[in-house]
Amino acid sequence: MTDAGATQIGGVRFLGNRRAYWRLLVRGALLLMVTLGIYRFWLATDVRRYLWANTEIAGETLEYTGTPLELLLGFLVAVAILVPVYAGFFLAALDLGSIGQMSGLIAFLALGVLGQYAVYRARRYRLTRTIYRGLRFHQDGSAWLYALRASLWWLATFLTLGLAYPFQIASLERFKMRHTYYGDLAGRFDGAGWRLFLRGLPMWIAVVAPLAFAAGAFIEVVDWQALADAAAAGGDDVMSKIEGSNPAIGGVVVFAMLMGSTALFLAAVLYPAFQALMLRWWSSGLRFGDIEMRSTLRTRQVYGAYMRFLGYSILFCIIAAIFAVVALVAMGLLTGGDKTGVGGEIAATAILLGGYVIVALGFSTVYRATALLSLWQLGMESLQLSGLSALDQVKASGRASSAVGEGLADALNVGGY
Amino acid sequence: MTSGAGIYFDGMTSARHDVAVVLSPDALQIAGGDGRWLAAWTYDELEEMAAPANVLRLGRRGNAVLERLEIFDAEFAAAVVARAVNIDRTGTRQRRQRGSVIGWSVAATASLLLVAWFGVPALAARIAPLLPVAVDRKLGDAVDIQMRGMLDPRNSGTAFECGSADSEKAGRTALDKIVRRLEASAALPETLRTFVVRRTEANAMALPGGQVYVFRGLIDKADTADEVAGVIAHEIGHVAHRDGTKAVLQAGGLSFLFGMLLGDFVGGGAVVIAAKTVLQSSYSREAEAAADAYGAALMNRAGGNVHALATMLGKIGGATEPGMTILLDHPETKARVAAINSVAGAKSTTPFLDAKEWAALKRICAG
Repeated sequence: MTDAGATQIGGVRFLGNRRAYWRLLVRGALLLMVTLGIYRFWLATDVRRYLWANTEIAGETLEYTGTPLELLLGFLVAVAILVPVYAGFFLAALDLGSIGQMSGLIAFLALGVLGQYAVYRARRYRLTRTIYRGLRFHQDGSAWLYALRASLWWLATFLTLGLAYPFQIASLERFKMRHTYYGDLAGRFDGAGWRLFLRGLPMWIAVVAPLAFAAGAFIEVVDWQALADAAAAGGDDVMSKIEGSNPAIGGVVVFAMLMGSTALFLAAVLYPAFQALMLRWWSSGLRFGDIEMRSTLRTRQVYGAYMRFLGYSILFCIIAAIFAVVALVAMGLLTGGDKTGVGGEIAATAILLGGYVIVALGFSTVYRATALLSLWQLGMESLQLSGLSALDQVKASGRASSAVGEGLADALNVGGY
Repeated sequence: MTSGAGIYFDGMTSARHDVAVVLSPDALQIAGGDGRWLAAWTYDELEEMAAPANVLRLGRRGNAVLERLEIFDAEFAAAVVARAVNIDRTGTRQRRQRGSVIGWSVAATASLLLVAWFGVPALAARIAPLLPVAVDRKLGDAVDIQMRGMLDPRNSGTAFECGSADSEKAGRTALDKIVRRLEASAALPETLRTFVVRRTEANAMALPGGQVYVFRGLIDKADTADEVAGVIAHEIGHVAHRDGTKAVLQAGGLSFLFGMLLGDFVGGGAVVIAAKTVLQSSYSREAEAAADAYGAALMNRAGGNVHALATMLGKIGGATEPGMTILLDHPETKARVAAINSVAGAKSTTPFLDAKEWAALKRICAG
């Protein structure tokens, strides 16, 4: 069907079967445990194949062509690059003088910039493995330039306590989309940072205000001179000396803890609303040539996704608690009594550790199968595409890129989907 | 079934073609709406690509052009798959690959653990003596800065070390007498630098490069100069075996083995930390036992009372050590005391200090 008029406006459907996704993730979690994490390349590929293949845009589904072996190779290359870097920092830390003292900070900053480089290269890998209607997406642009830009923006966001974040996202997204292509169709990003800023400002105030109150109370009440004297005097009982110098400090500390937990609670409650806002704003700004996108995502849908996660988490907790009781009884049998051999200790440690790994992996699996999948589905299904007649004349362009970026992102823990 | 409908993308443009697919004896042929042949693919180059459950999406193996053919009719899809030798819809090939991933991961883990258990300490023991003493010294200076930061939070500098004030000088002289007598029998590759520091715990430690810290609390708890000498002899054992440098090499080796190659999944961090703790504790227990043996032998050579070390260990080791043996960085005190006491003492022993000198050493931190 090549009649342009009928495909002018189109939607996105998600065709996936939730049960199949659960099966894929649970099997993946078990294999991750058995292989001590090596299976992650296979799991990531399976997840992407599933998500891509079940996302239908204007009547055609996406296709993911990446392979686990590519990811494994990318990871090995990243190891080869990072081992000398780590060794260098290790040696520098042994050195005396200011460089040795600063090496921790320098390592943190250098690896942070490298992480942003990896993020951009990993995005290129995923795009070039994404096929739609027989053509691949691709991305050009310098990953180092992106890393520099992203690092400076992170610094600005840090210094402004998060107020610069909307402008950071807008700027980085403009950079990424400017260098993104579907075939020969160039992408761009039309979202404005100040829109996100204005909508997000009330949430920012709600979370930061309690913290500001706490800080204000400290500045108002505490006698800093006396505090400094008490701290400098030192001795065995610094705390009681601090209290002696500032009789009101106990009350302020309690107030600060109350305000801190209020801020934490508000942040948790507002997080889905913030995510809905971000997702709506971001996807409404995506453009490919004449193709424009608009998102009608509703905030309460995102809350629904998180409620699902909460429900399944509670269920998982109950099951885990039952198993924990059984494991504790088994441990009691192994370590109880006086004759506890080294073998019994190793077995008990293994049970504890295994339990921890099972719980951590279990929560991550529940999160991926509920909240993350729902967010993908909601984000996709709320999209309205216009100008789709452009799809009939796009020409092939771009080549598959290497998976080194993915490997670096994996080794530096900055990976995405 | 030898013909059916499909959707074809030629890989050059995004245009969508409704096509008729014909399965001829040697190739899959694709005809456009106008009856023109668009492509012919041989059966051995057919490859199944990722698609929704109800769609068979075909591509050509090893083709840089991303041609795609999609077949929606299940019966016709089965007919295509039956002819394509390289399409495996039963998942056998995938299962086989998964099986080899699991098998080799388990083998790699086993080999990793064996290297960590036997290889890393053996390598560290071979490499440490090959390093020049200057490396130890440099390492020791770096550790010293960190240690002082932790032990001396007020940064009081030289006053952290006892023995510099006038009232402490006599104590310093007594300490030097003990150290010189032990050093003379030890034949170390580097000069010892021994300090008493103002910490109330009953402890002592050796850093790489020949620095030995004796905590003031240890001198307070000791009843004879030989007990202090015994502990210093044990620390000299660490210096002679270059245990500080070995520990750095071991920690680096373990971090490399575990940190880089494995454990990058949720919950994996805990596995790595636990494995490292258990292994490092086991290396450390061996090093302590070796230092005890060295200390006992050195006390004998220097003509001191070998059992004073055992007495001192019994005093500072504590009666019970709760927790797990595999996590302790020292062997159990009872076993250590027994091992040292099984060493036969010298026939005649000379005390390290006379009563007056011993009293002076007791006051080394008086200033």
